[in-house]
Amino acid sequence: MSKEIVGMILAGGRGSRLYALTAKVAKPVVPFGGKYRIIDFPLSNCANSGVDVVGLPTQYESVLLGQYVGSGTKWGLDGDQSKAVNLPARERGDGVGFTSYAGTADAIYQNIDFLDQYDPKYIVILSGDHIYKMDYSEMLAEHKANNADLTVAVLNVTLEEAKRFGIMNVKEDGKTIYEFEEKPAEPKSTLASMGIYIFTYKELKKYLIADAKDKESKHDFGMDIIPAMLNDGKRLMAWRFDGYWKDVGTVESLWQANMDLLNDTDLDLYNEKKDWKIYTEDTLGTPQQIGADAKISNSMITQGCIVDGEVSGSVIFSNVKIGKDAKVIDSVLMPGVLVEEGAEIYKAIVDENYTVKMNEVINKEAKEVALVSKNG
Amino acid sequence: MAKVIGIVNLHEDVNYAELTERRPAASVSFLGRYAIVDFVLSNLSNSGIDRVGVLIQNKPRSIVKHLGGGTSWNLNQKRGGLSILYNEKYAGATKYNHDLNNLKENIAFLKGAKADIAVIAPSHIINTLNYADVVEAHEKAGAEITMVYSKINNAKEEFIGSDILKIKDGKVVSIDVNRGTAKSRDVSLDTYVINVSTLEMIMKKAKNVSAFFSLKDMLKYLLDEKVIHVYQYKGYVKNIDSLEAYYETSLGLIDVVNNSQVFKSNWPIYTNTNDTPPTKYLKNSSVVSSFVANGAIVDGTVERSIIGREVKIGKGAVVKNCIMLTGSSVEAGAVLENVIVDKHAIVTAKNDLHGDVNQPLLIKEGDIV
Repeated sequence: MSKEIVGMILAGGRGSRLYALTAKVAKPVVPFGGKYRIIDFPLSNCANSGVDVVGLPTQYESVLLGQYVGSGTKWGLDGDQSKAVNLPARERGDGVGFTSYAGTADAIYQNIDFLDQYDPKYIVILSGDHIYKMDYSEMLAEHKANNADLTVAVLNVTLEEAKRFGIMNVKEDGKTIYEFEEKPAEPKSTLASMGIYIFTYKELKKYLIADAKDKESKHDFGMDIIPAMLNDGKRLMAWRFDGYWKDVGTVESLWQANMDLLNDTDLDLYNEKKDWKIYTEDTLGTPQQIGADAKISNSMITQGCIVDGEVSGSVIFSNVKIGKDAKVIDSVLMPGVLVEEGAEIYKAIVDENYTVKMNEVINKEAKEVALVSKNG
Repeated sequence: MAKVIGIVNLHEDVNYAELTERRPAASVSFLGRYAIVDFVLSNLSNSGIDRVGVLIQNKPRSIVKHLGGGTSWNLNQKRGGLSILYNEKYAGATKYNHDLNNLKENIAFLKGAKADIAVIAPSHIINTLNYADVVEAHEKAGAEITMVYSKINNAKEEFIGSDILKIKDGKVVSIDVNRGTAKSRDVSLDTYVINVSTLEMIMKKAKNVSAFFSLKDMLKYLLDEKVIHVYQYKGYVKNIDSLEAYYETSLGLIDVVNNSQVFKSNWPIYTNTNDTPPTKYLKNSSVVSSFVANGAIVDGTVERSIIGREVKIGKGAVVKNCIMLTGSSVEAGAVLENVIVDKHAIVTAKNDLHGDVNQPLLIKEGDIV
């Protein structure tokens, strides 16, 4: 079957700056927003954008990720012509043998056989660790209208922030990219790459094959493929996105993105516009059982929780129990956390299935975000 | 090992006033995130029964949508599955629209299943019965028909109109109707384990007895010639046979003594997912002693209530002893006590509505008041 566009979500990264949270799982399946996992966002975006075949090159701790993605049913990517496919690094034929993905570009290169099955005109390449809602079909329309070889989604950031991003420098038309700079000391532009690319597949394939042969290459889109295309004078266009977008690569940013859900309505998680649900697994919880002594404000709580204590400014995942006289303030409690009576938690991320003992106090000073986990 | 199928019998003569105007009792929303029918389906699934037919009496739209392909209750395997059994021929003929005629009309289901034993259960009697235990007792006794009953001590108030059994040596001696004359009764849960061959015999025989007779009627009729065994269920049981019972059972389950008998870690209650986000409790929210489903946005006071999916409760609103169904909302400052607000209804700001504890006020689906 032939597809106009196929999605590839880069889901192989380790996410080492999330420390214990990714000790045994890949970053894309880290819980987010009370009931989701990070990967639900790009997968739901694909499903809602009409990108209905999605491959996920995986590498680091890919078992739970593969199990979570399954065949794509959770996101409705499960029709006859539609699927999500886990693509772990593999033992290859043709005398190549066991392989790993050397970089983002290599992760796509090694799956050219997967992509070729669908004879796609375009490929949208996404990260598995970003929180946002985006209609890739709008970006594709722009890509086609510009007759581009590559379209990069960009976010307008402050000049200061620009120093931490890959920056696209554009011509006077505001969209034709002439230069790419990774974390420039003195940014010339504030258009930050979101790591979201639409390639014309024919072009991409040429560059991937050439890149694979290049012994000097790091096999990375930002460092190798984009510079090579710019060098050849290919048509690279920037496509501006102005909605909510967050890279949740660190404990601090993961905490902040959860807090944003309480304060920021940009993401429209409640789908007020009725057209863009974020799909996720069903965790089979009972309705939330709110006890006689509960005191809850400015928080998000999900099914399966039993709350009898105080919860404020917090995001509470499924099957969390919060005992009487316990206090949970400005915190993120991941699935299955037990907060015993009288315990207090301030500005923390508490990892899955952790028990906060009776009267235990966590991070009372609440200066930095504390990470509490069974995995150390 | 005997092959067992499940038959969910929605030919139940229960209604919940306007809540069942456009849907059967089985698909009425329950405890914020379930439908009534989820309990019997989960019981079947948890009992290891993977082929289930649902006998639908009328108003099929919402129940068919809820059931889908049965995936949510693990009934979609290549072996097994969920079948909708609907008797279109008699849809408008009340007297003829009973379970036996429905089974006859959909005989392909029984024939195709090639099962030895059928578990037949209604949806409105809420319990967590393990049918595998009943089937085991049924086989051990060499029974053709086993009737499940519970001993209750409030038969003057509950299970009015239900069958009450007189039992001797594990067998039914007589079947009567509960008219509320005594406190302690053995009430039938309208749940039967029955050999498929016996069921087919009953269907045939019914023709010669009365065209109006349902399975329940036939069992009563056959008591003289057939031995009917009994199985006592000792767990939590509630008969949701009226709007008042629906209201009382729902709010009663907020109490931990009750809900701990229904929400058990080894007995999940399945339902279909809607991908709604967590519930958002805003700055002015004050929620106690309540069940809250996902996707709600609460900025008011909620006490001893059931808040369904995507319900909105505005700033300063007070909701007490209420059941709010999916997508309904209470605007800022409104006060509600003992009220059931059906799906997508809107209670505007100025309202101060009070129902009676024993007779809740009902706001109809989609109404704006």
